[in-house]
Amino acid sequence: MGFNFIYFYDSVRSGIEYLPNTFELTFIPILVGLCLGILIAVIRVYRIPFFAPLLAVLITLYQGIPLVVALMIYHLLFMATFNNFAAVLHLSISMADINTIWIGIFALSLHATCYMEESIKGAFFSVDQGQYEAGYSVGLTRLQTLRRIIIPQVIPVALPMLTNNIVGTIKGSSIVMVIGITEVLAGSVVPASKTYAFFEGYIAAALIYWIFTILVEKFARRIEKRGDKYRRNLV
Amino acid sequence: MVDLFDWDRFFTNIPQIVAYLPVTFKIVFYATLFGVILALVVAVIRIKKIPILQQVAGIYVSFMRGTPMLVQLLVVFYGIPIVMQQLFNINVNRWDKIIFVYITYILNQGAFLSEIFRCSILAIPTGQLEAAYSVGLTQFQAFRRIILPQAVRVAVPSFGSDFIGLFQNTSLAFLIGVVDIMGRAKTIGTATKHVLEAYVFIAIFFIIISLLVKGAFYLLDKKLAYGR
Repeated sequence: MGFNFIYFYDSVRSGIEYLPNTFELTFIPILVGLCLGILIAVIRVYRIPFFAPLLAVLITLYQGIPLVVALMIYHLLFMATFNNFAAVLHLSISMADINTIWIGIFALSLHATCYMEESIKGAFFSVDQGQYEAGYSVGLTRLQTLRRIIIPQVIPVALPMLTNNIVGTIKGSSIVMVIGITEVLAGSVVPASKTYAFFEGYIAAALIYWIFTILVEKFARRIEKRGDKYRRNLV
Repeated sequence: MVDLFDWDRFFTNIPQIVAYLPVTFKIVFYATLFGVILALVVAVIRIKKIPILQQVAGIYVSFMRGTPMLVQLLVVFYGIPIVMQQLFNINVNRWDKIIFVYITYILNQGAFLSEIFRCSILAIPTGQLEAAYSVGLTQFQAFRRIILPQAVRVAVPSFGSDFIGLFQNTSLAFLIGVVDIMGRAKTIGTATKHVLEAYVFIAIFFIIISLLVKGAFYLLDKKLAYGR
């Protein structure tokens, strides 16, 4: 026993090989989360009847479910119902044709949507009500006020929280290992199935995630600094 | 259509899963108790800028925040036996698996809470400390009577969301073979071939917990809003 650097190196290489899967599991949910998050946040900020309270309840409830539990449930439902579902729709695809990574992407997207919606909604509420009134008073329409006055002020407030959400999604993507998707974490221990060097494998995975999240945070700080230029009189 | 969900099975599962709730609560209890102590130490080291220890604490916090909980759990689970064997020649193969879970969650909470504590202490304007010194309070008195009450108020909302996150993270412990509610659901699944009901119950349980914790921290936050 002990730390074997050759096995460690093998694990790092194997983990990096599966980095594209982690990218896929991170970027698609972030994109979906951003789009749906903004949409739901706007619905809730403008208090659109029926939809706003419904979405508020759904998001509060869904946030309570741990990702791993959600993932298990979706995986089970998928396994149990997909073939019947395809038969009903007369689709010629079966369960085996679908990559399970999409279940992971689906679950991560829903989680990202909930958390990003909360961040964006918080940022919207940080903009003073007077800004809306000022927009309307100079004759801008609702959409124009939103686009030209409100959103430019929402972005710098939302960015740090969204960075946290993005890092959370990257970290959450490691959990899809439980339904048998090979991403960085599972990929790093592929060599260990022969060598039993699990410790080296998991250290390698930790190192890859660590570097990945540090890079994302550095990049985000840069963008935040650019945004800060325009908010001299806020804070 | 296969029979996927059955209310009878759902209700027979409930007592079997509830019996393992203490495991989840124990993880949360130990992680919070020792996590807070560890976090205070780390926060003081970083605020006082103690050389060397400060750098070590910085790397520790960065690692814990930058890597997934699951990876930390697996690193601890596979790493501690090796480290103990090499350094102290202690064989830990007979340790209960739950101990590795405790260690991971305490280390993880220590890092996350230390950031919360550090930020809330630093959020108090320096003028407050100077004012305390100017009326003749000692350093400790100034911290205890002036800084701490204000910092606690800042920390409560973040502590609440961290606490909910901790509860949710306990659902990962079954992946190293600990039998908590998730582990029990898995064994129910192997025994009866029907596991959906168990997972649905666990999802409902976590939703209720998160609502309760949210409610409790909302009340606490309101209570602490004195002098605002």
